[in-house]
Amino acid sequence: MWQVLRDLLRYNREFAVGVFLLSFVILIAALSFLAPHSPLDSYVVPPDLPPGWPYVLGTNSRGQDVFWQLTCAIRNTLLFGFAVALISRVLSLVIGLIAGYAGGWVDRALMSVNDTFIVIPLFPILVLFYFVMRDRMSWMTLALAMAFLGWSYDARLIRSVALSLRAREFTETSIFSGMSMRQILIQEHLPYVLPIVFSTTMNNINWSIGLEVTLSVLGFTDINTPTIGVMIYWANQHTALVAGIWWWIFFPVALVVVTFIGLFLLAVSMNEYIDPRSRLGRVGA
Amino acid sequence: MSEGAAPAPVLTVTALRAYYQTRLFGIDRDVRAVDNVTLHVNANEIYGLAGESSCGKTTLIKTIAGAIRPPLKVQGGSVEFNFHGRRVSLYDKNAPDLADIRWRHLSYIMQGSMSVLNPLRRVRNSFVDFAFRHIHKPMAEFLDTVRAHLLRLHLQPEVLDAYPHELSGGMRQRVAIALATVCRPEFIIADEPTTALDVIVQKGVLTMIREVQREIGSSLIFVTHDMAVHANLCDRLGVMYAGRLVEEGPTAEILREPRHPYTAHLIASLPRIGDVAPKKALEGTPPSLADPPLGCRFHPRCPLAMDICKRENPQMEWVGPVHRVACFAAQPGKRQ
Repeated sequence: MWQVLRDLLRYNREFAVGVFLLSFVILIAALSFLAPHSPLDSYVVPPDLPPGWPYVLGTNSRGQDVFWQLTCAIRNTLLFGFAVALISRVLSLVIGLIAGYAGGWVDRALMSVNDTFIVIPLFPILVLFYFVMRDRMSWMTLALAMAFLGWSYDARLIRSVALSLRAREFTETSIFSGMSMRQILIQEHLPYVLPIVFSTTMNNINWSIGLEVTLSVLGFTDINTPTIGVMIYWANQHTALVAGIWWWIFFPVALVVVTFIGLFLLAVSMNEYIDPRSRLGRVGA
Repeated sequence: MSEGAAPAPVLTVTALRAYYQTRLFGIDRDVRAVDNVTLHVNANEIYGLAGESSCGKTTLIKTIAGAIRPPLKVQGGSVEFNFHGRRVSLYDKNAPDLADIRWRHLSYIMQGSMSVLNPLRRVRNSFVDFAFRHIHKPMAEFLDTVRAHLLRLHLQPEVLDAYPHELSGGMRQRVAIALATVCRPEFIIADEPTTALDVIVQKGVLTMIREVQREIGSSLIFVTHDMAVHANLCDRLGVMYAGRLVEEGPTAEILREPRHPYTAHLIASLPRIGDVAPKKALEGTPPSLADPPLGCRFHPRCPLAMDICKRENPQMEWVGPVHRVACFAAQPGKRQ
């Protein structure tokens, strides 16, 4: 595993850049634990100061330090992305593997649910969700809602791999040797689909962060938890661009773009590891 | 079935029928892949099953192994094992839990057994996954058993740490055989285990199968369409045609004096040293098992076909002490 990572870092430019960008973003997020003020406190510093010293990224019209605000926001946004990806990955793995392996009516039932999720329009549903939840809307409920909406494509993908695994001799032999369905899925099939899941995880994080930012900018989330989207929302509320406070919008947007590029590069370069021909040829694991 | 005072056979198959049943778009189709097969395999014996592709060999084997999945259904008959006095009947009302028989007493070398190993798991893990539960020993002792067994198959214990793609085809084949035999089962089913190998590796693998079988004293059903392999390996030979057993007897006797015209053609197709005459192919193709011909299923292709062959289905009848054949032309007193 470490050897694979080392070789990818050494020979794969995209992977190296992606890792660098993402480490940078994670470092910024980690700094949030050193923040001098709570991100929810306002008017703790002089408002509307441009980037400089001691407020490196300036301060906003609500009297908050943009840098420390940003560390907190990116931390919440990343955690949100990871939480959505984690929950939806578990869902898609379980559903995809079981549907592909069990086949028959189990497959048909699971895939009809799956296809329903694929065709329903996500954005109106999430907006509706906000209007239903209103004040009870929190970071976690939104993550849960998006995880439950975001597993379906990958479940289909994993199912298609599981279908082909089902027909292989080693699966037949596993069944014959008396392994239970759970053992076969976890020990024999899971290693096969994990690399695919790694790659789609990156995409899923990107997707969920993008959607969360969109919803926050429009004010359809819990606007009291600082995230990148919520920062932009407040900047818009204070007409930051009209007032010339460009640093209030520029830095969150720049940071989330860096996050996107990093994740995208990781997802793309994962392909080199996932494709057995290039993997066996170069990495040999 | 009985052979006088001989010990009870390890496997007894009686009037076994297994059909593939499909109900598609309102059309019922029964593909009679195994139709009324009766045979037995003695202790310490290699029983060869021959016949061309799509004659029901693999289906028969699956039914014997209890590896039945829809649309395959067992219609009737029985499959009974006798593991050192412990009788196990597969298709009984109170059928036993197959899980504690399989691998320990009955193992299966699959068709295309080169891909029995999960390409993403080290060979060691495949052994642990498939065989560990059946051996009832602590892990260290189990791995010692596995290493000793691999040596027996001329494999270095280091293959345990390899991934399947790091092994050659012949080595993978031997690993697959080691997997199937590590629990020293009383009964082994081998479904074309050497088909993908060249003749030299094939010979080595066959010798090894024979050695292991002799050493652990198990019985073996060996399936292949390759008559040369049968001639090399098997004690007794059963020939299948279109889902039915048509001839059965000691390999040497069948090769020397085939009674069924189909067997005769199979054997005539074997090349012989010094024989320069071009081989003649048997006309026609095996019948559709969804709609087999009436009477003897071989009669449309049979050079000896008579009137009765088109009307009646020949039964297996003894033509020697251990030689049976299902053909009117070969059965004295049945000619018309």
